[in-house]
Amino acid sequence: MPEKQTEQKPSYEDAREELVDVVRRLEAGGTTLEESLALWERGEKLATWCQEWLDGARQRLDDAIEKDEG
Amino acid sequence: MALETSPQAPAPVRQIANAIAGWVDRLGAVWVEGQVAQVNRRPGVGTVFLTLRDTVADISVPVTCSRTYFDGLNPPLVEGASVLVHAKPSYYANRGTMSLYAREIRMVGLGELLAQLERRRQLLAAEGLFAAELKRPLPFLPGCVGLVTAPNSAAERDVLENTRRRWPAVRFEVAYAAMQGPRSASEVMEALERLDRHPDVEVIVVARGGGSVEDLLPFSDEALVRAVARTRTPVVSAIGHEPDSPLLDLVADVRASTPTDAAKLVVPDVLEEVRGVTWARDQVRAGLRRMLDREQAGLDALRSRPALADPRHLLDVRLDEVHALRDRARRTLGHALDRAADDVGHQRARARALSPLATLQRGYAVLQNGDGHVLTSVADVTAGDAVSVRVADGRVHATTTTTEQLEDPGA
Repeated sequence: MPEKQTEQKPSYEDAREELVDVVRRLEAGGTTLEESLALWERGEKLATWCQEWLDGARQRLDDAIEKDEG
Repeated sequence: MALETSPQAPAPVRQIANAIAGWVDRLGAVWVEGQVAQVNRRPGVGTVFLTLRDTVADISVPVTCSRTYFDGLNPPLVEGASVLVHAKPSYYANRGTMSLYAREIRMVGLGELLAQLERRRQLLAAEGLFAAELKRPLPFLPGCVGLVTAPNSAAERDVLENTRRRWPAVRFEVAYAAMQGPRSASEVMEALERLDRHPDVEVIVVARGGGSVEDLLPFSDEALVRAVARTRTPVVSAIGHEPDSPLLDLVADVRASTPTDAAKLVVPDVLEEVRGVTWARDQVRAGLRRMLDREQAGLDALRSRPALADPRHLLDVRLDEVHALRDRARRTLGHALDRAADDVGHQRARARALSPLATLQRGYAVLQNGDGHVLTSVADVTAGDAVSVRVADGRVHATTTTTEQLEDPGA
């Protein structure tokens, strides 16, 4: 089972790195069904966090540009 | 010979005048260096009256010389010229005035002038006034630019126009001063000090158009050079054209070859700067956007991996696995059962072959006692025992009435 992460959101880089690891372990197989499900759920959560980070950054960039052209 | 006088025994004017004359004569003939400030030569008067000004201090002395000698001077004596005068101080008792009577006036020729400048440069250089480490950097964007120049001169226009073209919002504090002639050095110094004290002025430009060595002489004036050295505000010297280099160039913090060049030095080309800033900002944004795109692509790739995108796949794989296993299990079981069945059939056949049933079917029977033991001898039974007889198709239960021993069982 992946070590229990406190719900405090990891940094973008950490989340992304763990996501890569989760996908690798899922594809490598050899995990119990229970582990696979847990891994998959973890992967989904990590992916969502990463997307949120990226969307946030893009939003801030667009805001800065908008403020400029506004 | 101090003169004993007292209110009771005052000395007459003539006596005092003579005493002064005596004292004055005691100086004797001297060689004096100075700058001709005024020349008044009136026709019909045998003497020409001049004023000789000190090159450094604001002190001057009247000089007289005979008109014939004055007219014979070549090159002619003009105002502002630097001269060496061999003169003897004389006191005119009747008018109570003192003046130097010039017996010989030597023009300080260009060569002489340059030699004089060079000596002065070495003197000031030795004092360290031109030291590189004293040079102060110019402010990148000065709040207010001080300008010492002649009123509505080309130099003024050049500096103002070029500076404003580069940075329209520049503020100027112009201090006018004579940029030529004997008064020039002191006026420039006065203007310079006024601008230096001005709180907003962050750089001072001294600008003048081209001119001869004599014209630019004031800008090698020792006092002016010392004044520039004293200023707190950085000074830009913009005197004459490229080749001209008065001492002011050496003491100033920055030397501009021309007034226009000075404009380029004191303010950045703001339009260029703004373009640069905009470009830099766009670069940063583009860089960030590129990074975001790259990360997004990476994330999309990760998310599209089957392991994440399609968990059913994960389960299907397992399901297929399970089905496959189940099918194999079934097959294996089936085979096993078949084999087992064959085996049983085989065993049964063998058993059957070995089994006494056929014998029973031929009319034989097997006698067993109560607890199922096969009885092979009458001795094993006694009357009244319960026995069972296994015949081909079943069992007969009976009770022994009598037993009969045969003599020769084998016959």
